[in-house]
Amino acid sequence: MEFFTEILSFFTFSEPNVKVVFWGSLILCSISGLVGTFTLLRKRSLIGDVISHAVLPGIALAFIIGQQKNPLYLIIGATITGWISTYLVDYITKHSKIKNDTAIALILSVFFGVGVLLLTHIQHSGNASQSGLDQFIFGRASAMNMSDVWLFSIVGTIIVILIVIFFRGLSLLSFDENYSQSIGFPNELLKLVLSITTVTTVAMGVQAVGVVLMSALLITPAACAKFWTNKIIPMAILAVVISGASGVLGSAISYTYNGMPTGPWIVVVVSLFAFISAFIGSKNGLLKKHLQRNKNNTKILRENTIKLFFNPTTLGETRYNFEDIFAKSKMQRATLKKGLNLLKSDKLITVSNDIFTTTNLGIEEAKTIVRKHRLWELYISRFMHLQPDHVHDDAEGIEHVITPEIERELEKELDFPTKDPHDSDIPY
Amino acid sequence: MKPSVETHNLTVIYDKKPAIWNIDFTLPTGKIIGIMGPNGSGKSTLLKAIMGIIEPNIGYSKLFDQDLEDVRNKVSYVPQRQSVDWDFPASVWDVVAMGRYATKGLFKRLSKEDHRMIEESLNKVNMTPFTNRQISQLSGGQQQRVFLARALAQNADLYLMDEPFVGVDAATEQAIINLLKSMRDEGKTLLVVHHDLHTAQDYFEHMVLLNSRLVAEGPTSEVFTKDILTETYGGTLTTLSKVASVLQEKDFPMRHK
Ligand SMILES: Nc1ncnc2c1ncn2[C@@H]1O[C@H](COP(=O)(O)OP(=O)(O)OP(=O)(O)O)[C@@H](O)[C@H]1O
Ligand SMILES: [Mg+2]
Repeated sequence: MEFFTEILSFFTFSEPNVKVVFWGSLILCSISGLVGTFTLLRKRSLIGDVISHAVLPGIALAFIIGQQKNPLYLIIGATITGWISTYLVDYITKHSKIKNDTAIALILSVFFGVGVLLLTHIQHSGNASQSGLDQFIFGRASAMNMSDVWLFSIVGTIIVILIVIFFRGLSLLSFDENYSQSIGFPNELLKLVLSITTVTTVAMGVQAVGVVLMSALLITPAACAKFWTNKIIPMAILAVVISGASGVLGSAISYTYNGMPTGPWIVVVVSLFAFISAFIGSKNGLLKKHLQRNKNNTKILRENTIKLFFNPTTLGETRYNFEDIFAKSKMQRATLKKGLNLLKSDKLITVSNDIFTTTNLGIEEAKTIVRKHRLWELYISRFMHLQPDHVHDDAEGIEHVITPEIERELEKELDFPTKDPHDSDIPY
Repeated sequence: MKPSVETHNLTVIYDKKPAIWNIDFTLPTGKIIGIMGPNGSGKSTLLKAIMGIIEPNIGYSKLFDQDLEDVRNKVSYVPQRQSVDWDFPASVWDVVAMGRYATKGLFKRLSKEDHRMIEESLNKVNMTPFTNRQISQLSGGQQQRVFLARALAQNADLYLMDEPFVGVDAATEQAIINLLKSMRDEGKTLLVVHHDLHTAQDYFEHMVLLNSRLVAEGPTSEVFTKDILTETYGGTLTTLSKVASVLQEKDFPMRHK
């Protein structure tokens, strides 16, 4: 309980620095969700990892040259070494026999190693303002100040604008690079936009998340989002929301327990989102399956109930009171009531003085379901060579599955039959 | 009549190994032209070099007597289906709309006319019922038709297609070839990479036979001969015997007078 009150006190901004942490992590993580969408779609996750490790020497060098923790210097330094690392990976892959993954491992360790060396050097040099540089390994959002946040919002706005402007090109580049080139899109420019925005995002993001876990923040929100949607724009927006929320929550937790690094907490929260998405993501998660089953059951109940109103002689209107229709059905009372309510709300039947009367819509619907049933009976008795007394149960199930297209095909294939295998009329 | 595609000493080298070597030919307009050769013979590389996707190390190509940049909106490229990840978050419509980006560029919005062309292209490949389907839920043949629809939406004069018949069933293959023929009848030129020797003769009026080098180029009746096929596919006995059996089955002339 205490935990929650403390977390809550974070969101009341009771301490002045909390505001900085809140906005700082929100901005950094949201941008990283946006940029990461393209990193994921272009299958460049490993490159994200290289960049995030390679910004470390840049940060250290910027500190050595500037002799202080100036956020602008640090970002510029980080961007430069981050940039060089991606360039080197591409260069090595293209111009040597070394494979891409090997080049990535190589550059990552070399840059990170140099970064750690430089950091150690700075710490031993006894510079007073060195404190807080080790935050870059695992991230410490609480080390940010208001000028950091201003810088992040300005650079972040530029990144967002760039991505929005070039969205069409970036999407096509991510889906089909060759085609993009073939229609004359400026692939090199588009790749430049992506690498500039990625490197800059990482350079800023390591403040909150640290170099070790930055690539997780880049990729995971987009991966979560992909569970929920199959369209690129909603995917990007969702990634931003998930990432921003994780950033804020993670910082809140780490802030509450002063002294804990931010990065791991943010990544814990975002991983939680990943788990949730995998299990109940609307596209193929468990929740979707459950909802689908419910939907199917409703459809079956609705169709089975309207079928009770089918009038085999006139093919027209029918009226029943509840007891009559209950006697006809093989359903439980409660189930039948539910089914009748469905029909009522879909205007397939009307109710007055406890008498249920089919509407025109209802008449058609009843005919349709009986027709599907009998068409299917005929179809399987003909093509699966089943005896007429064996086809009914199968058709009871399949009648709910037959779409209008399938129905048309059945009719064509059976040459618009008029009688089912039991010699009943097929109602049209 | 202007030639559709002209290459001059076109050479592409990967890792010091030439994938295509001194390719030099001039292709006619208004025909369905087959590009054939064994796996790894550089067919895809040739198309990519013509489309400027790969910079050739030596040589150049011209399209309709002009540089690619000047006729780009008259040329459409259909990549090999397996070259993209179909798990990408996009619908069939989204992919076909990319065909319109060729004229719209990076920023211009799609107009009513563009929407009409997208629908029409989908209709031509019988994919209208799948317009809103996620591309990850398509069969191989449907993916191929989506790629074709995207190319149709470009409304080009010259189409370069990399293996449009791979992974499609016989009915779809027939539908596609009929579509290509009707495009040809409208005066379009179709350059099609193809694998199946059985059908090649029926599909193509003109052929390019490739095996890193240009083995032969010309009207099908002149170049689709046992000698040339042996030279193209030669090397292993299995391919040789395959060619032999094709020759036998199809009963086409061993030698031309
Ligand atoms: N990006 C690349 N880097 C290095 N080598 C490549 C590259 N692309 C192709 N190659 C090589 O170039 C040669 C020609 O390849 P290409 O893909 O053009 O052949 P293809 O005729 O299209 O083959 P397939 O019938 O299998 O599609 C092959 O030996 C291939 O290994
Ligand atoms: Mg190929």
